[in-house]
Amino acid sequence: MFFHILHYKLLSFFKTAFDKRSVSIVRGVASSLVFCGFAYGAYTFAFSSTRFMLGHIRTGLYLFHTFISMLLFVLFVAVNLGNIIVSYSTLYRSSEVGFLLTKPVSFTTIFIMKFFDNFFYSSTTLFVVAFMALLGYGSYFGYPWYFFVGVMLFILIPFMFLSACLAVLILMAIMKIAGRIGFRKVMAGLFALYFFFIYLFFDSSNPITMVEKVNRYYPNVDAYLSHAAPGYLQYLPNQWVAQFFFHIARGEVMNALPYAGILLSFTLAAFGLLLLVANRFYYRSWLVSLDVQSATRKIYDPAHRHFMDFQSRSLFPSQIEVLIKKEFFTFFREASQWIHLVVMIILTGLFAISVSNINLNLHIMDVQMLTYSVMFVFGGFMVSSLTLRFVFPMIGLEGQTFWVLRSSPIKDNKIFLTKFILGFVLVLPIAEYIAIASNIPFISKTELRSLLLWFGVFNAFWISLTMVSFNLGFGGFFANYLERNPIRAASTQGATLTFLATLLYLIVIVVIILVPVSAYFAALFQFKIFHVKMLLIAGILLAVISFILSALGFIVGLRSMHRDF
Amino acid sequence: MIRLENVTKKFGGFTAVDSLSLTVPKGEFFGFLGPNGAGKTTTIKMIVGLFAPTSGSILVNDYDIVKQPMEAKQSIAYVPDIPFLYEKLTGREFLYFIGGLFKIPKSTLHDRIVELIDHFEIGNWIDKRTEDYSQGMKQRITIAAALLHHPKAIIIDEPMIGLDPRSAKIVRNTLHMQSQNGISILMSTHSLPVAEELCDRIGIINNGKLVFCDTREQLQLDKARYDGKFESVFLEVTKQ
Repeated sequence: MFFHILHYKLLSFFKTAFDKRSVSIVRGVASSLVFCGFAYGAYTFAFSSTRFMLGHIRTGLYLFHTFISMLLFVLFVAVNLGNIIVSYSTLYRSSEVGFLLTKPVSFTTIFIMKFFDNFFYSSTTLFVVAFMALLGYGSYFGYPWYFFVGVMLFILIPFMFLSACLAVLILMAIMKIAGRIGFRKVMAGLFALYFFFIYLFFDSSNPITMVEKVNRYYPNVDAYLSHAAPGYLQYLPNQWVAQFFFHIARGEVMNALPYAGILLSFTLAAFGLLLLVANRFYYRSWLVSLDVQSATRKIYDPAHRHFMDFQSRSLFPSQIEVLIKKEFFTFFREASQWIHLVVMIILTGLFAISVSNINLNLHIMDVQMLTYSVMFVFGGFMVSSLTLRFVFPMIGLEGQTFWVLRSSPIKDNKIFLTKFILGFVLVLPIAEYIAIASNIPFISKTELRSLLLWFGVFNAFWISLTMVSFNLGFGGFFANYLERNPIRAASTQGATLTFLATLLYLIVIVVIILVPVSAYFAALFQFKIFHVKMLLIAGILLAVISFILSALGFIVGLRSMHRDF
Repeated sequence: MIRLENVTKKFGGFTAVDSLSLTVPKGEFFGFLGPNGAGKTTTIKMIVGLFAPTSGSILVNDYDIVKQPMEAKQSIAYVPDIPFLYEKLTGREFLYFIGGLFKIPKSTLHDRIVELIDHFEIGNWIDKRTEDYSQGMKQRITIAAALLHHPKAIIIDEPMIGLDPRSAKIVRNTLHMQSQNGISILMSTHSLPVAEELCDRIGIINNGKLVFCDTREQLQLDKARYDGKFESVFLEVTKQ
């Protein structure tokens, strides 16, 4: 039965993927080009970073793989959180599940099909990124081709799969408990616990402390310095993968294999447990999800007004007013929207608190420069993810209800501009907060205190403007009005392409700011002359590029709204 | 008044509507019939501005829908075949939302909404989210929203789908009353008895072309030429 359903799902997928219309072919070729460019970029970045860290600043194998462990932890959490949220939609709110439940198909078959559908649908881009990063990393060490294939199949995919299995186990536990004490209480408790552990992890494995500990053993920094890391790390999957890579890099294959064995064993055990739990509990938890949904149904009292109520007066013109209120209610009455926003705001808060507390004792220009660049890219990446998730689907989520706006006497640019302003108001404060927090470690001990901070604030404004207009515009261009799930809307091919394009923009921005910022650090630590004009030129260049891309987003978005509906 | 002059709509190589000319004068109730895929919904979507015509012109209350879309849309009401609503809004919120889009002042909007809630008998569930509504409830809300701004023309696509007898009666009476009050109505329907009962004039479209267009009185003569049934006339004129 499983393969019968899979056959028709694949048939449907390939018919869509290999659409022979000229528009689809052009779009497909463009997508492939951007994907290839991005894959090559990921490869180059991984290779250059490995060469820079190991060859140029000589961090040593142990410290380098500790950094890899941290990145893998972020990947593990990203896959885990993503799968908890997306699985709720695919396993519990999908109309396909409702359809199949009325047919003679076992609950376990439906579960397995939706679980794999979910895992591969939401992780395809991550697979590409992971493989290209592996290729870049491995090329530095000159590993043979079978290393890459083997590691991808037996290390990285199982690692992500383990994360997805745990995510769905957590989700089913949520549904089980939600049936008793209510969905909101469970979610609040769970996320508080989840973020507490993430904070503990980053707090106890502070990279700067690690650098200081490992540097005590200089020049013997390639040795196995496990005592420098907190003991609990050895129980985490990211550490197993990092340790596997470390031992392979040292040529100790026999020491590496046990880590692969542990990872595969745990992955298989987690999948087995998942099947066992799903077999006993999936259908019951699906019924609980119906109760959870019906619990949110209520009758609103029109006499009980608040400032956002449609009946309340507003300072805005009537069309703008009702558009804002409609966006507000449709967002905050959709659990998958506001919960995801809260999650992303907490993650951003954790990131900002962590980076603002970094004490950069190493007054080495390259280290400061690298740390600044990594933080800048990571901050930009967070803004990019935020806009992709919340701004990109804004037009598409109008869905088939778009007829209401399109047949009303309201100009398209007013609709677009309102959505743009709402997106910008959401993203700008977060971007500025990240920018300020990630500049704090660099301004605390310098004479040019506020210069870098203001530069960061300026950049954050333009980056937010570009990300919002670009995502909104291309969200309109790639809009699928039949897709009602915001998470799936933000994971489509069009969304991925837009995300990759914004990452390319970030890379360009990093290249632009690298010159003045490196001159800035050279002035601080090597006592060279620094001209403020360099920052000014970089700022103007950044603003011009951002303005052009923002305008492109606006044009594409507005044109998309003139299309037949 | 609604006037279509040589309107054509092509999707790639496929012609959905082919040089269609049609006028619905003020106060006329026009029934727009045709088999599935004949071009009814495409025509309606062009009249309300959801599709751009490939060629030809569409005037709504003397405004060109392509050149003066805001004025044209301000004067018409559109009720689609499937009443998709904002699921997270209540019926009352949806009505206020539409009122805002049509720039109706809040003071008059409130009274108008109360009046329509009463007329369409939707007071029991108006403050529930529309995601909990049945098809008939959604249809009644959509028609109520369409009448909020006192339109001069109503374009309505398949209004009777999914309606229970009571809802259907309310909708029929409302449309009839609007027509009596001088509002032009263009109604697409598959229901021949409804068209016969309500419409002053009936047009049948097939393969994008208007193949039949007569008044209710003339229709009786046409029916007499067959077996006295409108169904036979319809089947004959839409024969491939």
